[in-house]
Amino acid sequence: MADAPITPRILAPHLQQFQHRTVRILGKVVQLLGESAVINADGNVDLKLTADCHLALNHAVEIIGKVEPNLSVKVLKATDFGTGIDFQAANAVVDVTHRYKEIFYSD
Amino acid sequence: MNYNNYETSYTSYGGGGGSGGGFIPGEGSQSSPSGGRRDFTDSLRPVTIKQIWDAQSTGDEFRIDGATISQLTFVGQIRNLSSQTTNITYKIDDGTGVIEVKQWIDSDEAAQESNDPASKKARLVEDAYVRVWGKLKSFHDKKHVGAQIIRPVDDYNEINYHLLEATAVHLYYTKGPLEGTGARKNAGQALEQQTGAPIYGGENALQGYSAVAKKVYKYLTEAPQSNEGLHQQDIAANTGINTSDVAKAGDELLSGGLIYTTVDDQTWAVLETE
Repeated sequence: MADAPITPRILAPHLQQFQHRTVRILGKVVQLLGESAVINADGNVDLKLTADCHLALNHAVEIIGKVEPNLSVKVLKATDFGTGIDFQAANAVVDVTHRYKEIFYSD
Repeated sequence: MNYNNYETSYTSYGGGGGSGGGFIPGEGSQSSPSGGRRDFTDSLRPVTIKQIWDAQSTGDEFRIDGATISQLTFVGQIRNLSSQTTNITYKIDDGTGVIEVKQWIDSDEAAQESNDPASKKARLVEDAYVRVWGKLKSFHDKKHVGAQIIRPVDDYNEINYHLLEATAVHLYYTKGPLEGTGARKNAGQALEQQTGAPIYGGENALQGYSAVAKKVYKYLTEAPQSNEGLHQQDIAANTGINTSDVAKAGDELLSGGLIYTTVDDQTWAVLETE
């Protein structure tokens, strides 16, 4: 398991609590600025992009990244989830992962 | 959005379509004595990879939340794959952990599929999201999953659907069935969209209708009226909704069989069902 970091699923309001950790965020791309981007995940999250992530405006994207001290997220991996994501369900998932974290992640 | 179609492909949890039947763990022994044992050993359980790592082994069996498991299903992303002559090993990551999944190669099938670039196998590449069905195995104390089926995920909502379903089943085993539900309900059902046959007269009957239609229906059920019902002008005047929207809402409710026309096409009454 050593090479298998667990990536808790979070939204913008959880950033503070997960500083310095590698997390998973599903959000909608609202702004693309070359090496950075902004996604909406129950609030805006600033992303620092790598060269090989291809975000598309208004698409859902799943980010695996590290929460920096200034609460921006350094992207390690980005997966395009298209335009058909039900964000209400997605946010409900984040809620249950923290409510019943015994089956999702350990501190 | 209809999430039921994910589940019809592999399980009878919740028995989609509102029938209310389906998988009721632990009840088998009461309803069908001979089938009780089989239900117990032959189940299909949606899990997270963390739950697989936390599964306790007792002899040949594994337990999650105290319940013996056999078939498992989970959704994750392929992190790495390596092909051997007899099997392919995938490393699957669902955010709660990573586990090795081995699938034996069926040589006939492989020969057929290798000619087809659009085949499911060809889409099982690094970073692809997949759903896995298989059994937990342990070899020299190292856990892996022996997969029967691995297929690519086409709709990313399936990932969230799966995580909610796994949570519902976890809560079923740790906290019991939902409060106030009879024996015919189960944990999985709580998360299903109620897309089954409408239950007339209840709140459920209005699922899928527009907000205006709901308002009109509510007004029709509550406002004093004769058995001729109410004219759409009256409804518009008393609810403050404009006439054309009331007409549209009426069409919706008429086609859904919740109301019927009485003295003319613009006068409606609620269809009471006992």
